[in-house]
Amino acid sequence: MLDRSAVNAVLNEALKTGGDYSELFMQDSDFNNIRMVDGKVDSASYQRRVGAGVRVLKGTRCAYAYTADTSEAAIMETARAAAAAIEGVPEYSVRSFEVRKGAPGYEKKFADVTNDMRIELLRSGTAAARAYSGEITQVEANYLDADHRIMVANSNGVWAEDRRPRTRLIIETVAMNGTEAQTGYSAPGLGKGFEAYRELDPAAIGREAARIAVTMLHAPECPADSVPVVIESGFGGVILHEACVHSLEATSVGRGNSEFCGKLGQQIASPIVTAVDDGTLPGAWGSIAYDDEGTPSRRNVLIENGILKTYLVDLLGSRRMNGHPLTGSSRRQDYTFAPTSRMTNTFFAEGKDDPEEMIRSMGEGLYAANMGGGSVNPLTGEFNFAVLEAYWVRDGRILTPVRGATLIGKGSEVLMKIDRIANSGLALAPGMCGSASGSVPVNVGQPRIRVSEITVGGKGGKL
Amino acid sequence: MMTFDEFKKKAFDISAELGCEAAEVYFNDGETFSVNVLGGELDEYSVEHSFGLNLRVIYGGRAGYAYTEMLDDPRALVLRAVDNAKAVENDDVMPMQGKCEYRQIAKPECRASGLTPTEKIAYAEKLEKDLMAADPRVIRTMYCAIQTTKSTTRLHNTLGLEADNTEELSASILCPIMQQDGVVKDSFIVKTGNELFDTDAMIKEVVRKVADQFGASPVPSGEYSIIMQNEAMANMLAAFSPMFSADNAQKGMSLLAGREGETIAADCVTLMDDPFYKEYPRAFDAEGVPSVTKEVISKGVLTTLLHNLQTAAKAGTASTSNAGRGASGPVTVAPSNFYIVPGETDYDSLLGRMGSGVVITDVSGLHAGLNPVSGDFSLIAKGQLVEGGRVVRAVDQITVAGNFLTMMKNIAVVGSDLKFGMPGMSRFGSPSLLIEKLMVSGE
Repeated sequence: MLDRSAVNAVLNEALKTGGDYSELFMQDSDFNNIRMVDGKVDSASYQRRVGAGVRVLKGTRCAYAYTADTSEAAIMETARAAAAAIEGVPEYSVRSFEVRKGAPGYEKKFADVTNDMRIELLRSGTAAARAYSGEITQVEANYLDADHRIMVANSNGVWAEDRRPRTRLIIETVAMNGTEAQTGYSAPGLGKGFEAYRELDPAAIGREAARIAVTMLHAPECPADSVPVVIESGFGGVILHEACVHSLEATSVGRGNSEFCGKLGQQIASPIVTAVDDGTLPGAWGSIAYDDEGTPSRRNVLIENGILKTYLVDLLGSRRMNGHPLTGSSRRQDYTFAPTSRMTNTFFAEGKDDPEEMIRSMGEGLYAANMGGGSVNPLTGEFNFAVLEAYWVRDGRILTPVRGATLIGKGSEVLMKIDRIANSGLALAPGMCGSASGSVPVNVGQPRIRVSEITVGGKGGKL
Repeated sequence: MMTFDEFKKKAFDISAELGCEAAEVYFNDGETFSVNVLGGELDEYSVEHSFGLNLRVIYGGRAGYAYTEMLDDPRALVLRAVDNAKAVENDDVMPMQGKCEYRQIAKPECRASGLTPTEKIAYAEKLEKDLMAADPRVIRTMYCAIQTTKSTTRLHNTLGLEADNTEELSASILCPIMQQDGVVKDSFIVKTGNELFDTDAMIKEVVRKVADQFGASPVPSGEYSIIMQNEAMANMLAAFSPMFSADNAQKGMSLLAGREGETIAADCVTLMDDPFYKEYPRAFDAEGVPSVTKEVISKGVLTTLLHNLQTAAKAGTASTSNAGRGASGPVTVAPSNFYIVPGETDYDSLLGRMGSGVVITDVSGLHAGLNPVSGDFSLIAKGQLVEGGRVVRAVDQITVAGNFLTMMKNIAVVGSDLKFGMPGMSRFGSPSLLIEKLMVSGE
């Protein structure tokens, strides 16, 4: 990493062609990755990623250049490459820095962890998955850890350093009988060092992945219909992430490409809905002390009692949105991306409803116990989700597990149709979110909720 | 910082000193330039220089990997790789390609890389201007970008392999937003190579892709005859391609395991993996194995899975030159140019053959609504309702669901309009296909 005077020189070099803001981002990250297949370690790899990115803004014009060569000369050259996109007379220079440092967030450093310790987790998860049922024919377990050391300095005098440990255990199972195969998946993760495995139990993760695969192997195909849907806590929150909050990011809103443009202060969801994006939760998978522009992370109430309170806004987004305040939401996968507005830990707050009553009173519909991934077109709000583990409900009672369910709809409509939010059981679940600035770790979350009607796709099973 | 050659020599020497049987470096060095124009203004401008070195050692018969973007400490990297090799427990033989000769290939011309940054910006501005003028319903663009990349990969090992390759790639991306009767729709198009200079064709195609969506509504749920349009099918083929990986098959994660010689598709279906395909040819794969062209499905019969050196050794066969690897990870299996061979039926005749049914023009959420292990899919889709061989109206907010292997057997006619999808490490292509039936859920 460069010293203060070198950083100063880079930031000033970047402003030489008339930019009004310059920023240097530096990263030095270690990754460890071990894959176990069929109870045997199949591959193990280590990666060190080091690089620097320089961004220059003039109004809403944005130039970004990066290099994997972190010598001072190469970074100066990178600053000049970015500045080449700007035309004008230099007016700004950097004076002094206000230094901000994120809490270390670390007890057991990954550098002190041996492969044997990592492999022990994989073994225990795999054994538990296999022991769950004879129908489990394959278990793949992946262990990941990452230690990100980042610094960002900008011409406004901000100098922020953050250290972001992350670790995750991903277990995928295959259950087969004859020619049919179904899969199960469980993959918790935390923004902590190796001490995370005091909380995360590999055997429980393995059993959960096995339970889902075996349940789905014996499930008939899901009917195709438009019905009420109860979505379980935890990863069920992916519906909020995809169907709503992507469309609240400045990336979409700042260019008028969101169905929620111009809706601040207006009712965009059912009055029982409160939604939050909170990057400050200690040790959570999606947490950061500072965002990738050096702004402190914070708790943003996005929707309160159905009313839209704020968008998620980075510096460039703020300029495009008449100076909307920054929300500490500027993130990037690594130095190869310019940062932009992203989510951190995003969830529906607990409501007032009885989690059991919402199934009892739903009549015929779908209970989505485990959601898979999904995607959304922020322009139109059209979303889709896969349901990993689903049950058909008839007369308010669970009738049978069903496989192959997909949920589709429009974000703005589904938010208005939420008619129950449980009074307890808020849980978070990790994922990787892909968008303009790459793939970043986020949590999604919620307590159990009910939506009065969603289109359920599937192969049209008859129950 | 050391040069590649200095670092490689030290890493190989240290590997030998530590008792490795073999060592290999896979080095990437790339430069990318991209611009995006919005509303006549330069919106994004990016200059990128990336490089990294991935070391693979064979120690005690096992492979271990370590990657770095800092060429400063070869010993630390070799120690990491050896440590990772020691962790591996599977008993597979880990062959490495030795020195060999490659066929000379003609690289496609890449005119865009000869342009200066100013000329690239001017071209992006012209693209946007022409796009805005092409149809009064175009209200703005979400993206109007030009990107050029020059990258070099160097694969060297202690068995004498020295396989170097330099690629120049260029692409343009257009994403118009159009409005009609208060409804907003978008789509995008990517063109590569010299096709990106055919401005009119590119604009016409993408404007039509957006305009075709107006007036869309769902259809009633039920089974329909389906035309899977070329681009949608290419994307599905990409998502299901892991089924053809011998690595997945050997690990019990493909339903195609052990089914070579069996009929797995309709007899009108031939699926090629051709590394020499003219638009994106390569002389060798990511392990340095000379490229081999093969039919993966021949008239409905599965002839081979895709192998790298390791899976081939395990299966007692030869590599099909399908090793893949990201810049920083282990060797995997990956298709090259993977496509369904076109038939003779043009698109209009396909519509006529179908009579009544649904055309699927676009499928989304492939990472979530599709499972390459089970072959099941249930995907949000857009398309058109067809009656009497003619398009009646646009369709959206539907899902199309089925099983990939069942669908492959239910292909009635293969169209003639082969098209490749997004550029990447592997490229996937398909003509439009008439499929007897798939489940659609809508209203």
